Amino acid sequence: MIPIIGAMLLILIIGLVATIALDERHSRAIATAASLVVLVIVISVLFNSLLTGNIVHSEQYAYYLPSLNVAFEMQFTPISFALLLMASIVSLAAIYAGNIEKESPKASSALLLLFEFAAIGLFTSANFLLFFIFWDIGVVVLFFMIYLFGSAGRKRAAIKFLIYEILASSLLLLGILMIYFYTPLHSFDLSYIALNFHLVSQGVQSLIFLILFFAFLINMPVFPVHLWLPDAHTEASTQGSMALSGILTKFGGYGMLLLFATIPIASSFSYYVAILAIISAFYAAFVLMRQHDIKRVVAYTTIVEMSIILIGIASLDSFGTYGAAYGMLAHGFAVAMLFLAAGSVGHLFADRDIREVKGVITTSLSTAYTFLIGTFATTGVPLTAAFIGDILIFSGAQSAFGNIGLLPLGALLITGAFMYFVINKSFLSAKDSSKNVNYIGLSQKVGFGILMLAIIIFGILPFMILKLFT
Amino acid sequence: MLPAISITPVTALIALLVLFLISGIAAMFLRKAKAQLAISSIILLAIFSVSSYIFIHGINVTILQVFKVYPFSTFFISVFSVGLLLVNMLSYRYSKDFPSFSMLLAFTASGAFIVALSFSLIAIIFGIEIMALSTAFMIIINGKQYVEPAVKLFVLAAIAVAVMGFAMALIFQYDPQLSIGQIPAASVGTYFVLLSLLLFAGALAMEGAVFPFNLWIPDVYQGAPGNVTALLSGINKKVAFVAMFEIFFVLFINNLQLLSTVFLALSVVTMFFGNIVALVQENVKRLFAYSSISQAGYILIGFAAASLYGIEASAFQILAHMLMIIGAFAIITWLEQKNIKTIDDYAALGRRSPLAALSLTLIMLSLIGVPPLMGFVGKFLLFSSAISSGLLALAVLAIINSFISVYYYAKVILSMYSRKEAKPIPMGWEVKAVLLIVVAAIILFGIYPQPIITAATYAGSTLLGY
Repeated sequence: MIPIIGAMLLILIIGLVATIALDERHSRAIATAASLVVLVIVISVLFNSLLTGNIVHSEQYAYYLPSLNVAFEMQFTPISFALLLMASIVSLAAIYAGNIEKESPKASSALLLLFEFAAIGLFTSANFLLFFIFWDIGVVVLFFMIYLFGSAGRKRAAIKFLIYEILASSLLLLGILMIYFYTPLHSFDLSYIALNFHLVSQGVQSLIFLILFFAFLINMPVFPVHLWLPDAHTEASTQGSMALSGILTKFGGYGMLLLFATIPIASSFSYYVAILAIISAFYAAFVLMRQHDIKRVVAYTTIVEMSIILIGIASLDSFGTYGAAYGMLAHGFAVAMLFLAAGSVGHLFADRDIREVKGVITTSLSTAYTFLIGTFATTGVPLTAAFIGDILIFSGAQSAFGNIGLLPLGALLITGAFMYFVINKSFLSAKDSSKNVNYIGLSQKVGFGILMLAIIIFGILPFMILKLFT
Repeated sequence: MLPAISITPVTALIALLVLFLISGIAAMFLRKAKAQLAISSIILLAIFSVSSYIFIHGINVTILQVFKVYPFSTFFISVFSVGLLLVNMLSYRYSKDFPSFSMLLAFTASGAFIVALSFSLIAIIFGIEIMALSTAFMIIINGKQYVEPAVKLFVLAAIAVAVMGFAMALIFQYDPQLSIGQIPAASVGTYFVLLSLLLFAGALAMEGAVFPFNLWIPDVYQGAPGNVTALLSGINKKVAFVAMFEIFFVLFINNLQLLSTVFLALSVVTMFFGNIVALVQENVKRLFAYSSISQAGYILIGFAAASLYGIEASAFQILAHMLMIIGAFAIITWLEQKNIKTIDDYAALGRRSPLAALSLTLIMLSLIGVPPLMGFVGKFLLFSSAISSGLLALAVLAIINSFISVYYYAKVILSMYSRKEAKPIPMGWEVKAVLLIVVAAIILFGIYPQPIITAATYAGSTLLGY
């Protein structure tokens, strides 16, 4: 068997070294090439698995901590593969198109490559220790991304982000250590834990569940621990926002999926989790309506979407679980596209306030339509990928929680209504349009294209991923 | 009659240790700084190689019933020789009088090696005292303004030695040869032995900068020249932990339960003290002084775990922290000369010297415990050793501390990468070399820690006698 995962990680590291070592002029091109090679590998694996009907694949390398019996073990599972696919596409778009401001391409490309490395490692890790290691690398890289390339208030936002995220990772570390020592034959291995964790006493299981639940909740983020997200997005650069919302929030979502899949006691908490998710969705939707900054608006849609995904995960139903995975895939593309469009607006007009910016469509057709399609994609309009995700999530939630499970649709409705209001007010209104101070380049348009294509393809041909699940 | 083949490397090691001392004394008279740097580096490298050879071959020899060459001692001789090599290199430029410094370093080194080798309480007290005295002189040879930290260090060391002497007197009746080999099990729980144990703990805690015996340590660290601070926190403090290993896990092995409780308490208060006080520091050197106090608290977690796993974790973290703190103080020493001292002064270091900023960032991330750096592996082993010994609460408190520490390290990182126009600062080759070695080691052993863990486990198992 070819060590595909090892090869992907190695390519990213080689790309990273080349980006740092070579001249600043070439850094974006090298980083794009490395990311593109990884994407090609991922797509070929996808096609191969469509032909053979099997995605499961694992690789094992040297021992990391021999005394704890931890090795570098990597694996694909259907769900992790879906997220891996999303991460590689979004990373490519962010590296190639995200640097609209053209600010120190070397450092930002290098950081994004390292982040892609962390994301791919996290989604493919076969034990909780590697999961934690890649998680922390991702968090630290994004901290620097926000701090180095953000706008004026970036210092405060970066510190806030770091405090929330390190709290999450401290809890995560505690949780995985407890899992290790309470599992009968001390192990970090995901599949072993899933098989044997029912042997652990109920009280310990509940404690571990709550610790890990809060860790992932902070990262997702879901009300009431979402406060880092809007600030981080407002201050981060376009690339930072794309990576943050597109990929980093999925770390928490994927962790939450693993948590509900491995710890049996989770089923007794699922009802409370669903209630929390519903509250969070409505809360974020209401706060959303008071925002003026386009990036902040998009940031709050992330919270709404992640709450909906949480209800899918909590349903513990195969529809809900697969829907959550598919929803995360769809949301990654959609939100990265929205942030790219929002960043373009900020660059075009040096302003992102929806009360000030008018008539984006007369200045940049592509930006306006991208934002429109991104809105379709977040609100789950048919033929976009999010539609498939939402259908699955809500059918799962309905069967698990009854009609209460359908309540977040209301939040989605509010979000959609406000987003169309924003589009109407700022993007599509052709009269008294604002003067632009800058132009956007071809690479942004290519970036729009890559993400739009992904949204449409996975909206029309969902079986490519869904076939893997079943 | 010992076979000749096993005695040869040990003789070579002892000869090298003596040679290092002689070369230091000779440097005082010859006063050739460059030659001395080369000679002492070569001898230290030779010590490192020979002791690693002895370690790998598992040679076990007792010399005169006072010293014992066995994997535990050779492990720490190798560790300390690396640390001394780095400090020596750093001091070449930043010490006012390098030949005199060399002599004192040779004495400090022999103190550290004596403690690592010792199999007798007399040797331990002797080694610790010679080390503390020569370090105090190292501070004072730099000028009049250094009298205060030197005196503070001297007084602390004197108190520690006095208390340790009293502790030795208390167990003299059970252990008339003052050997480290266990005291009779019949005496377990007697008042004298328990009191002696506590006094030893106090005295060594004073040497190891453990709260509440450390209140002068930040003054000493801040007041002393940077290269001596690197020595103090990188070597001297770690030697105290080695002495703790020898005294508590061999001599007092029958009182493990009490030991665990004592170290649990010391560890928790030290971590909280170091981290909370570090939050409000403005001077970077003082910040690192408190940070290294909190790190001493983490190292004590392994003692509280009181198991082979705990010893292994502590030994790993001793090595990791030695490397990290010497790297950090290398940068601090270098910037101190340019009058860059507070966190605000560190602004835009990322532009003024990208190498220094990147190295300090990596070192601080490693101190926080971010994977895949060496500090993460150390902390991970420590926390899991606590949980495996059933001390879940200790692990939780340690993780809370880790979380608190993020704030002050991040403050320095943020300051270094703030946007401000500034002129570049040139960096000497000594600092560059130290940083390169440290950064390479913390990345390499963070990704592939297996050799160090295996070695630490082996050292720990020979300490416990199996």
